[in-house]
Amino acid sequence: MGSSRNGLLSRVSSLMMCAAIAVAAGYVLSAPPAAAAEPVTLHFWVAWDPTLPDAKIAQDQIKQYEASHPGVTIDVQDMSFGAMHDKLVTALAGGQPPDVSWGLAEWLGELNRMGALADLTQPASTWPDRAALYPNALAGLTIDGHLMALPHYLGIRALLYHGDLLKQAGIAAPPTRWDELIADSEKIHAKTGKYGFGVSDDTVRAPQELFTLMAQNNVAVAEPRGEGRYRNDWDTDQAQLGRMTEVLALYKTMLDKGAIAPNATSWGWEEEDNNFALGQYAMVMDGSWMHLHVAQYPDSMKDVAISPPPALARAATYFEINPLYVYKASPHPKEAFAFASFLDSKGYQSVARPEDSPRMDVTGKDIWGTEFSKLAAIGHAFPPIALGQVARDMQEAIGRVLLKKEDPATVATWLGRAINKALRQSGELASS
Amino acid sequence: MKSLSGMAAQSGMGAARKAPARAAASRVDRARRVALLFTAPAFAFFILLSVYPLLRVVWQSLRYANLVNPSVSGFAGLDNFRTIFEDDDFFPALGHTALWTGLSVIGEYCLGLVSALALNAKIRGRGLFRAIIITPWVIPIVVAGMNWSWILTPEYGVLNLWLVRLGVIHEPIAWLGRPDTALLSVTLVNIWRSFPFYTISLLAALQAVPSDLHEAAALDGAGSWARFRFVTLPHLRTVSLTLIVMHVVWTAVNFDFIWVMTQGGPLNSSETLPIMIYRYAMQSFDVGAACALASMMMGFMATVFFVQYYANQRLGAARTS
Repeated sequence: MGSSRNGLLSRVSSLMMCAAIAVAAGYVLSAPPAAAAEPVTLHFWVAWDPTLPDAKIAQDQIKQYEASHPGVTIDVQDMSFGAMHDKLVTALAGGQPPDVSWGLAEWLGELNRMGALADLTQPASTWPDRAALYPNALAGLTIDGHLMALPHYLGIRALLYHGDLLKQAGIAAPPTRWDELIADSEKIHAKTGKYGFGVSDDTVRAPQELFTLMAQNNVAVAEPRGEGRYRNDWDTDQAQLGRMTEVLALYKTMLDKGAIAPNATSWGWEEEDNNFALGQYAMVMDGSWMHLHVAQYPDSMKDVAISPPPALARAATYFEINPLYVYKASPHPKEAFAFASFLDSKGYQSVARPEDSPRMDVTGKDIWGTEFSKLAAIGHAFPPIALGQVARDMQEAIGRVLLKKEDPATVATWLGRAINKALRQSGELASS
Repeated sequence: MKSLSGMAAQSGMGAARKAPARAAASRVDRARRVALLFTAPAFAFFILLSVYPLLRVVWQSLRYANLVNPSVSGFAGLDNFRTIFEDDDFFPALGHTALWTGLSVIGEYCLGLVSALALNAKIRGRGLFRAIIITPWVIPIVVAGMNWSWILTPEYGVLNLWLVRLGVIHEPIAWLGRPDTALLSVTLVNIWRSFPFYTISLLAALQAVPSDLHEAAALDGAGSWARFRFVTLPHLRTVSLTLIVMHVVWTAVNFDFIWVMTQGGPLNSSETLPIMIYRYAMQSFDVGAACALASMMMGFMATVFFVQYYANQRLGAARTS
């Protein structure tokens, strides 16, 4: 019996060996000769809505790129940003990332920490189009002197408002300060029954909005200490902690005074954008992508106007530098950079991204193109830290104030500690 | 003492008797080998796709592995488990998991039993009702979750509209946006989606209950409750136990429903352990801690399964003896 088992085992082992040899042989036979000129396929992950015009324009442009670059094929995979993030993390862990991808600015720090990104400093140094890009857009994608991504489009935030609702409330001009915005919102609610302002307490939009207010009140998420280390200083800098408390107290005031709808405490970006586009409330801090709703809801979007964001201690806004990531593991780094730089070319940007281009020589003709680019100078970007947990903590801080009605000062203290804990976990915390 | 010739004759007879036995044994061996050979690919896949990843998870739970912090690596001992226990969100998430699982399984079982009893009754259109009731279960979870999110939304959700019009509530409620209602809302949706599986399984078991038992009990004067209690329920015991255990495991490890509807929010009020594993792995990139939590869940689920398995075995043995 024992011998028969051994016999069986040896046969199974032999079979497995044969299979392994066959697989290896197949691999060797199928591997292309290293030196041969071979067609290149670049895997490109995007997060566009295929039904919208900008996606169709981009697809046409990519076809033209393929036609003008024989031997280069662009394999486009479309998915949501959320799915892309998770897919990227697993693909990177498995050593199979795409060559080029869209992405969010919030991922820059973590992708850099993972060692996933190609250093574009060298190829970009001889790239003629570099001078046409906003310098602060390039600076926002530079870590320790190395350019780690190319800017794809800018998501600068401005104050969007329904002019008709403001008029009905007897308001002649949009607010320039937050206390004005709250007072105007009370008037709008009293006159029209609609809420004055919209905020987000869910999805990635929530920390972005909080960050805008922090930048306006001179509060830093984390201060750089050199060598890729950061620290949140609110525990030692009481003045900064006080300013952060003011920021969180502003959320509380907006809710208490009825500037925002009670149910806005659960809004993500979709609710915020759609409810504004439908004219359900009067004002929002939002980006130029809202022009896409003009065709969707022409009646309710026709009175929308744009102005600079209201200010706290200073004028500032969130400068979302949406990046194009080129991955270090790409077997075709030269072609990958060439394709990524094509997406930043004047030809591509003029037709695909006229409203939110990172190029200074591409600006849209209507308000959606001109009014946002004016704000680039006061734009602030997140520090290039691993933001996953930090963004979650920022979102939780808003929820603690709006949903749990916790004291803003207590929440500010908690948030400072939570940011340092997240930095410690990612290995980025400076000792002092 | 036997003579040599006698012994030789005996051994010859013995050999002649052993030969067919040996041939039979070798046939059995051959059949077993063939069977093993045919099961080998499945076994290889099982090792490759189930055993290896599970062991790898357990192994990673004992190591430092952080995707954004390559400076920490090596053997961690029980540090990752300590990270989990020291996390302020762990015990609330454990409680949410228990509540989500308990309420879901109880609700699904009760609704499934009631609907199975109704569909077992001789009513007109029974076939149609049996076909319709399976509908929620065949809708993909993501589709069901998104549809329910729209139904429950305060701004344009149809449920709020109806409740306000009926005067049940004064103004729309953000069912998924409030810490006190989010988990319960998702649980109700999960019950709605899963109870048809119970209905179909219990209906099959109900149809196997011999009708003469009911007739005999009725002749003995048993009322409908007594017949249900003493005739029907005992016949549902095995299928009920299997259904409950299976759904305890499925529900406790369910990720997609909660993720689609609330992502564990607001303020972690609907965060269960699978959501927490996801957060550790995909947001904090602490793969070691994610594996530690996954190992703990795996151990608990395996315990539930083995307890059910041996309870079933004992139940079967008790019946046959």
